[in-house]
Amino acid sequence: MPIRRLPEHLVNRIAAGEVVERPASALKELVENAVDAGATRITVRLSSGGIDRVEVIDDGCGMSAEEMALALERHATSKLPDDDIEGVETLGFRGEALPSIASVSRLTLESRVRGAEGWSRIVDNGDLEEEGPAALPPGTRVLVENLFAKVPARRKFLRTPRSEYAAAADTIRRLAMARSDIGFTLEHDGRRNIAVQPGETRPERVAALTDRQLIENSVAVDYDRGTAKLEGVASLPTFNRGVADHQYLFVNGRPVKDRLLIGAVRGAYQDLLARDRHPVLALFLTVPAGEVDVNVHPAKTEVRFREPANIRGLIVGGLRHALDEAGFRSVQRPSAAALGNWQAEPVEGGVGQSSTAYPQGYSSEHPQPHQQGHPQGFQQRAAFFTPPPGSDQASVWDGAPEYQPAPEGKAEAAEAPVPDAATHPLGIARGQVSETYIVAEAEDGLVIVDQHAAHERLVLERMNRAVAEGGVASQGLLVPEVVDLDESACDALEERIGELAELGLELERFGPKAMLVRATPAMLGAGDTKGLVRDLADEIAAYDQHLSLKEKLDHVAATMACHGSVRAGRVLAVAEMNALLREMEVTPHSGQCNHGRPTWVKLGHGDIEKLFGRK
Amino acid sequence: MKATIERAVLLKSLGHVQSVVERRNTIPILSNVLIEAVEGGGIKLMATDLDLQIVETVEAQVEQAGATTVSAHTLFDIVRKLPEGSQVSLEAAEGKMAVNAGRARFNLSTLPRDDFPVIAEGDLPTVFEIPAATLREIVDKTRFAISTEETRYYLNGIFFHVTDDDQPVLKAAATDGHRLARFTLPRPDGAEGMPDVIIPRKCIAELRKMLDELDGTVEIALSDSKVRFGLGTAVMTSKLIDGTFPDYNRVIPTGNDKLLKIDPRSFEEGVDRVATIATEKTRAVKMALDTDKITLSVTSPENGTASEEVAGQYGSDGFEIGFNARYLLDILGQVQGDAIEVHLADAAAPTLIRENDKASALYVLMPMRV
Repeated sequence: MPIRRLPEHLVNRIAAGEVVERPASALKELVENAVDAGATRITVRLSSGGIDRVEVIDDGCGMSAEEMALALERHATSKLPDDDIEGVETLGFRGEALPSIASVSRLTLESRVRGAEGWSRIVDNGDLEEEGPAALPPGTRVLVENLFAKVPARRKFLRTPRSEYAAAADTIRRLAMARSDIGFTLEHDGRRNIAVQPGETRPERVAALTDRQLIENSVAVDYDRGTAKLEGVASLPTFNRGVADHQYLFVNGRPVKDRLLIGAVRGAYQDLLARDRHPVLALFLTVPAGEVDVNVHPAKTEVRFREPANIRGLIVGGLRHALDEAGFRSVQRPSAAALGNWQAEPVEGGVGQSSTAYPQGYSSEHPQPHQQGHPQGFQQRAAFFTPPPGSDQASVWDGAPEYQPAPEGKAEAAEAPVPDAATHPLGIARGQVSETYIVAEAEDGLVIVDQHAAHERLVLERMNRAVAEGGVASQGLLVPEVVDLDESACDALEERIGELAELGLELERFGPKAMLVRATPAMLGAGDTKGLVRDLADEIAAYDQHLSLKEKLDHVAATMACHGSVRAGRVLAVAEMNALLREMEVTPHSGQCNHGRPTWVKLGHGDIEKLFGRK
Repeated sequence: MKATIERAVLLKSLGHVQSVVERRNTIPILSNVLIEAVEGGGIKLMATDLDLQIVETVEAQVEQAGATTVSAHTLFDIVRKLPEGSQVSLEAAEGKMAVNAGRARFNLSTLPRDDFPVIAEGDLPTVFEIPAATLREIVDKTRFAISTEETRYYLNGIFFHVTDDDQPVLKAAATDGHRLARFTLPRPDGAEGMPDVIIPRKCIAELRKMLDELDGTVEIALSDSKVRFGLGTAVMTSKLIDGTFPDYNRVIPTGNDKLLKIDPRSFEEGVDRVATIATEKTRAVKMALDTDKITLSVTSPENGTASEEVAGQYGSDGFEIGFNARYLLDILGQVQGDAIEVHLADAAAPTLIRENDKASALYVLMPMRV
């Protein structure tokens, strides 16, 4: 069989296999082109998850008729003006996407440079079908239809339109997050699902694309280290999710998926969040183009850092710094559902309605977080007026900024606070409810503190400080334990011997495929050493971080903190309550307990007034 | 089955057997005690957790022979609450057992005796006797070092083996990886050729309880998988831990050249006092050695500091070493004499503690890095 050069259309189809594997990846290429073209508004229309139709319209610089012909050739691009592949600053640069997509679908390319005539070119699976003048506003419109119609092998492997759409929406979300200066619109089967305006601030954009409540419950990350810079938005530990899919990393404006992020985020939120809870965040990393290689994979979702350890340190340090500054903040407002149960009461209350007028069944249908201390009739009525669970309470209580408790004269007049209150963000203790919650009056509202959770956190922070000052004591082993591992795992552990010794775990290399444990942290007692070392090796391999050891130590500390703190059910004197509040104000991370639940909530004056229908 | 027994006798032996029974069982019959009345021979009580079994024979007037099983803890609680000096009558019939004493009447549900598991002893070729007091000493001086960590199951017991050093000896050793305790005694007659055995922790604990009330000697019979203790009226049979005890002789240091002689009582009290400051979990005590004096100190970032000087004979170079206070106290609590030798090498090497070179007990302790 003679060796021959493959024909162009086959080459394109092979390239398409790498770049275009599903509608979302084609969409990603097209939107990236639009972004690189300097568009300010990008509209995306999909049908059947993009399998039938993907349309991307931008108002960017456009292309002339000759450029359009060239754009459909392989390795033709406008994006490497000085051939500097090491210093790529645009999203795309390979010049492969358009011809690849054109070779596996019916592609309509229409474009108009401002001040010139529009031109259209239709390519069906690699063959030019027709071209001619077109009428369109300045910019480019790309329409991809019947993707993989002539590549049955690929077409068979597409998922349902619903999951293809989910992947496409995720792509748009990431790109939209990366460029808050560009407006994005995503329509699917005629329904507009994502619409963000150009010129939003970054936190607004991230919140719009993840969760509206993020704005109030996040900290801004802004951290410099040498030439690298980390910016972004990270949720407070009290604002967490059950899955880690709301974590976004952007390197030089390019959305990437990198396991480095997972490890670094876990490291930063360690001892602030339970292991199975995950923060919501979007981090924007800016590094000199030479420090990062984006040319790893055709789809460019992976990047390689020249010094991953520095980048990891930067992310952990930046997040930690931002969270430290947040101090005692937590999710400050009670959840909308909890407030909802309160809200309804005063509206119809006081008319002398008899509680017996409402069937008993109603109250059992709605959760009642504030049952204690209310007379029976109140509960039933409150339940009755509670809006049904499906109604959109969140929009009433959480979305719009005008509901922010405003620092205005009216609040002052309600009751003149003790002069002190002004200087204490958590206010002055007024009393204790069910021997569990401290009620305090702050300048701008009512603060409710969970005394056990708060004190537990304070004790833990104190213990952590002690450990940081004194180091971790380690207990030597009479018979050193030999742990058999892979060679690569041993190498990884060997590199970290110094760091691990600081945490009390003394390791030594023992032949090519084993590690010798000489001493273990005294706090852990006689635990399962082998298991611990294996976990560490796995984690270093997966995340480049040794989290288990710190986590185990933290767990011991947390358990001790739990036992050593004021329990719920203990009556506190006012002086004790005030002391607790003052300490919370100066202790970092006192806004959440060790599992990420809030230790206090604030009911602003505005909220209170709302409860009484005054506003 | 029908028998009458004095409450005090029944309570004592039920106390022995019921502690073998685990509080929660997946196999219902393991919660029960087997009661077997033998015509003219008293009654036999038996309990097991499948690894350990105790059989105790007590005197009773048996009117009708027979056997049944009832919940051990329930029966024990009932007997405990019966008036002192009463006669307890046990009568089993038709799946129930009646327990009557004075005017109290109980009717307990039973499980058939044929389902009750019995550990097959098999052949126990090695048989020897040890005075109860000696066995008590062996257990006391070693059991504190038994590991509780399940992953290294072979450390969850006391290791017994015979060797011929200068003279034939029987050695008992226990370790948890941080400290080691070893007891040596002249080899009892009949123990030659004994297999190396690891007697599990629970068996040791039950054995120790029984030894409190026992004078005279204990008959030990064992094979490489089972051990049986003859304890007067009671017989305890246990499975052994199927594993290899590490070669602990390697960790007993021989070249420790720094010798500290010290009064164990003042040492113990000093450690105990300064450890008050230590945080609950680590309890590290630092020992600064200097000529003829040691300074014990504890620093806790939370609580403050403590230090105490203890007099002792020490002539080598001064240095500092840290120990877990609890480990030190465990060892010192087992020393009776008025002087102990502490053989040290450096702050990271194992330390040897014993009364003198003739003493039967020897301890090795790993220092802590503080």
